[in-house]
Amino acid sequence: MSDIKTVLDETPFQTAGPFLHIGCLPNAINIEGVFDNDLGVKPFANKHYDKFITITGSVFDGDGKALDDIMLETWQSDENGVYSPESGFARFVPNSLTKKFNLYTLKPGFINNIDGKAQSPHILLSISSRGLNMTLNTRIYFEGDDLINDPLLSIVKNSRNDVSSLIAKKIDEDIYLFDIFLQGDKETIFLDI
Amino acid sequence: MVEALIKRNLKTHPQLNFPDYKSSRLRAPKNKKISFSSTSTEISGPVFKKDIIGKLDNDLTLNFSKNNILPIGHKIIVFGTISDQFANPIEGALIEIWQANAAGKYLHHNDNNTAPVDPNFAGCGRYITSSKGYYEFITIQPGPYPYPNRGIEWRPMHIHFSVFGKSFGQRLITQMYFEGDPLINSCPMVNSISDKKAKQSLISTLDTSRYNTKKLLSYKFDIILRGTNQTFFENRKEGL
Ligand SMILES: [Fe+2]
Repeated sequence: MSDIKTVLDETPFQTAGPFLHIGCLPNAINIEGVFDNDLGVKPFANKHYDKFITITGSVFDGDGKALDDIMLETWQSDENGVYSPESGFARFVPNSLTKKFNLYTLKPGFINNIDGKAQSPHILLSISSRGLNMTLNTRIYFEGDDLINDPLLSIVKNSRNDVSSLIAKKIDEDIYLFDIFLQGDKETIFLDI
Repeated sequence: MVEALIKRNLKTHPQLNFPDYKSSRLRAPKNKKISFSSTSTEISGPVFKKDIIGKLDNDLTLNFSKNNILPIGHKIIVFGTISDQFANPIEGALIEIWQANAAGKYLHHNDNNTAPVDPNFAGCGRYITSSKGYYEFITIQPGPYPYPNRGIEWRPMHIHFSVFGKSFGQRLITQMYFEGDPLINSCPMVNSISDKKAKQSLISTLDTSRYNTKKLLSYKFDIILRGTNQTFFENRKEGL
């Protein structure tokens, strides 16, 4: 292992701006005939629907306004906690009337980490929009799961007393609520991934 | 031994709280992000297959043209490589771009700019890098455009880039600017990056060596995604 390799600077982020749909979800804004399909419409195209859960929620700004000009992306394992490059990615926007997003997906399983320890089931969620100079990242854990031994939650607890913004609430059978607060008393915990 | 992402150097990135960019005031979180070393979640990521890319996906002058009518404006090539922080080229990276047309207008319902839409230009393209990390787009030089910020301000000419590398932790969304554009220096989005070299790295350069081979102005924009380091974990040290 060489320690003397030059480390180049990563290309910096810039805001995705208000028109990100053109590049990332053109069909969703009726730009048809350029790309066959928008990417990430279904995170698990080949899995059975009866096993799916719904995660719903809104993204609120500092004025408590629910936003719709944002893009959410999620990355997750399958029900057995296995990551595979072909599936597990989703990309979606809140509904322009209800301002709610709905992610219809598999509930991830316990995930084997690279250090051999288990991570509790979770989904990595990113938010890009105008006004955000960098994409924000957080994690969705699930109420009712064993979260005591999760390595990341333990790290978060070292600096924050309340980790509840990272835990989706079970509001019905197979339905979870995960609201995201960009600012304010309830500001969501964001991660430097 | 596994490959973990090297820590992101936030000094070479924009500040989230940058009041000169008005939209950031109500959106940028106030608390510090939580840092941690990579887990299996960040070092994995979606990989997109080359067969999702259509023949014209990287030619924005043709992918929305009707009856072979070209969009208005001057045609350019934007090209470069994607590599990691150790200069290893990344093959199979997905690049998605979007931009305004020659008049500075986006094909988008939220664009209130009064400039005209070009019926032959959608402004989106995508590409998956080849073995040397190379990519290329053919497009129209985007126009600058006015937007409300501290009063009306003007965005420098730019193309938005979204990039997927091999892992979700390498995910990047950025903008490419054009060498010589006088609007770059006063742009609050550019200036949200304080590091001069980092700022400079977003400005594509006119590649004059291509004058003879391609009859189009060519702009070079190289992208660097996070690198990975081999990491030892305490509970495995003895076995290695
Ligand atoms: Fe833009």
